[in-house]
Amino acid sequence: MGISSQSARPDPGTLAAAVAAVLMGAALAMIFFYVPTDVDQGYSQRIFYFHVPIAMTTYVLFAWSAVNAVRYLLSRDRSLDMKSYVPMHLGVIFGSLTLVTGAVWAKASWGVWWYWGSTQLNTFLIIFLFYCAYFMLRFSVEDGEKRATYSAVYALLGVGLIPVSVLAVRVSQELIHPITFNRNGANMDGSMFLTFLVSLAAMLALAVSMYFVEMRGKRLDERVRRIRRLAEAAR
Amino acid sequence: MSSSEAVRCSGLVRRFGERDALAGLDLAVADGEVVLLTGPNGAGKTTLLRVLATVLRPSAGSASLYGHELPGQAAPARRLVGYAGHEPLLYPLLTAAENLRLYSALHGSDGAEVESALEGVGMARRAGDRVEELSRGMRQRLSLARAMLHGPRLLLLDEPTSGLDDEGRGVLLTLLEQPGRTAVVATHEPDWFAGVAGRAVAIDRGRVAV
Amino acid sequence: MALVRKDLLLELRSREVVPAMATFVLASFVLFRFALGGDRLGGGVRAATGLLWVAVVFTAMLGLSRAFASEREHRIWDGLLSTPVDRSALWLAKACSTFVFLVVMQAVALPLFWLFFLQEGRPPSIPVLVAALLLADAGIASLGAMLAGLASASHAREVLLPVLFLPFAVPLVLVGVQVTVATISPQTSAMDTLERLGFLGLYATIFALLGWALFEYVVED
Repeated sequence: MGISSQSARPDPGTLAAAVAAVLMGAALAMIFFYVPTDVDQGYSQRIFYFHVPIAMTTYVLFAWSAVNAVRYLLSRDRSLDMKSYVPMHLGVIFGSLTLVTGAVWAKASWGVWWYWGSTQLNTFLIIFLFYCAYFMLRFSVEDGEKRATYSAVYALLGVGLIPVSVLAVRVSQELIHPITFNRNGANMDGSMFLTFLVSLAAMLALAVSMYFVEMRGKRLDERVRRIRRLAEAAR
Repeated sequence: MSSSEAVRCSGLVRRFGERDALAGLDLAVADGEVVLLTGPNGAGKTTLLRVLATVLRPSAGSASLYGHELPGQAAPARRLVGYAGHEPLLYPLLTAAENLRLYSALHGSDGAEVESALEGVGMARRAGDRVEELSRGMRQRLSLARAMLHGPRLLLLDEPTSGLDDEGRGVLLTLLEQPGRTAVVATHEPDWFAGVAGRAVAIDRGRVAV
Repeated sequence: MALVRKDLLLELRSREVVPAMATFVLASFVLFRFALGGDRLGGGVRAATGLLWVAVVFTAMLGLSRAFASEREHRIWDGLLSTPVDRSALWLAKACSTFVFLVVMQAVALPLFWLFFLQEGRPPSIPVLVAALLLADAGIASLGAMLAGLASASHAREVLLPVLFLPFAVPLVLVGVQVTVATISPQTSAMDTLERLGFLGLYATIFALLGWALFEYVVED
């Protein structure tokens, strides 16, 4: 396991970053200049084009992490542990953003900083708590196979949590508040839908490029650690 | 891989975080052999025994028990192995008999052999006493009984003589003297085993010392 | 494999866990009663029910933090793991004994709850509450056995267990309170209640399956 040099192929990280930049630019342009103002909610409704894509990206990141968690448990390949952890970490970042944009949207739409009747917001809150707990777990266990295994196990428990949360909120509602994606989604006209899609793509691209950046950083860390270990053993 | 070979380790590695407790260990034990493991504290003797007891998975390299590769075939290997570790591995609040009955159940048995096991180590009188009330030597003996309960082919003993009184030592010796007894014993007292042990293997820093 | 359950039932001899949980519950109720208003019950039965469920969850976590304590303290895991017993069976046994402890604790807590909080206003349906608690217990026990195993890897395990458990407790409490409180109102249909109880059953099932499948990864070193 020597220190190999990168071959001269286009670095996926840089590529992703470029794509993300382009998409973000397009999305921002569309959100602020292209899309018509919503009749009901006014200008501030545009937050929706940030909030929901970010939220969906968070879920995608979680799914990505969970898939790699399963792969890790089956193969015990340590690189998969990293590939499971990094999306989780990004999920916390995007999750925080979701909560912030959600609060802003709530304030703008309904005048309160949080809306407890919303299925999505509540479900999201639970998932966010889970993300934080994942990190607590990760910080509490020493590095090594055990930490990787436990993280993967907890991530998979989280997979069980998602449907449970959605159902829980739905089943315990006394009144149904239809502030859901469906209302905005199915009823969105062409330009709104397009803007939404572009924004979603932009957020996903952003997540992907951040993933590559973080992975690269972690790989460097790992290499440094390995070099150090070899140096010590040689002494 | 012939299954009359009790233990075969090849390049066995066991990592704990940054530290290699076992760093490429080779060992072969034939059926019927009693092999001692000697070496300083921290050399890796306990780790080796724990890997062989299927309690720890190997990080790299290979280990097999009677032809069963670890960790993949650990399950069938477990029936063939009896492990008595550093600690007595007994619930202090349960009685001696209850502890043994538990382990008997875990091995899929109904507890019929518990009595004879207790007699075998001279503990029959104390069967109804809680482990916390027993002396160190008796706990060691009970631990031996536990390891022997399911009639294993291979015994893995970690410092079995520590804390053992004379009567207990007699029991241990009788146990090891039985013909066909296969055992790997980590000890700081190799001389005491001189009569029963075939050879001693010195372990140092996770490897067999040359 | 159910023989392992005997192992854990025998640990009742230690009398550590159940009395501690019962005392904790009692203390919580006293605290809550005073917090809600010593004289008249501020917030009504709804608030009290919410607090009941919260108390149940916290007490469960208290109990769970000791779940694997004896195995850990005496390195007994090495002994158990060297036997051919199925790793999932170890989980199942721990979950079953936890379930029993929870039920015992609630058997003590419910009469106290009735005494402290249900003396005024319309009470919720007790059979529904009992059913909900039992189902919730199954879920808590399943998940808790898993998480206690995960938490025991760290040095801060007493703190870590609640942290790991709480995200999962939220849906449980949410529905638990809802199903209990809704029975006060005559508008709640039996269908609604069954639906919510069904959810609790589903919760237990999902985490039981996950616990069964994943425990061997928690325990293998």
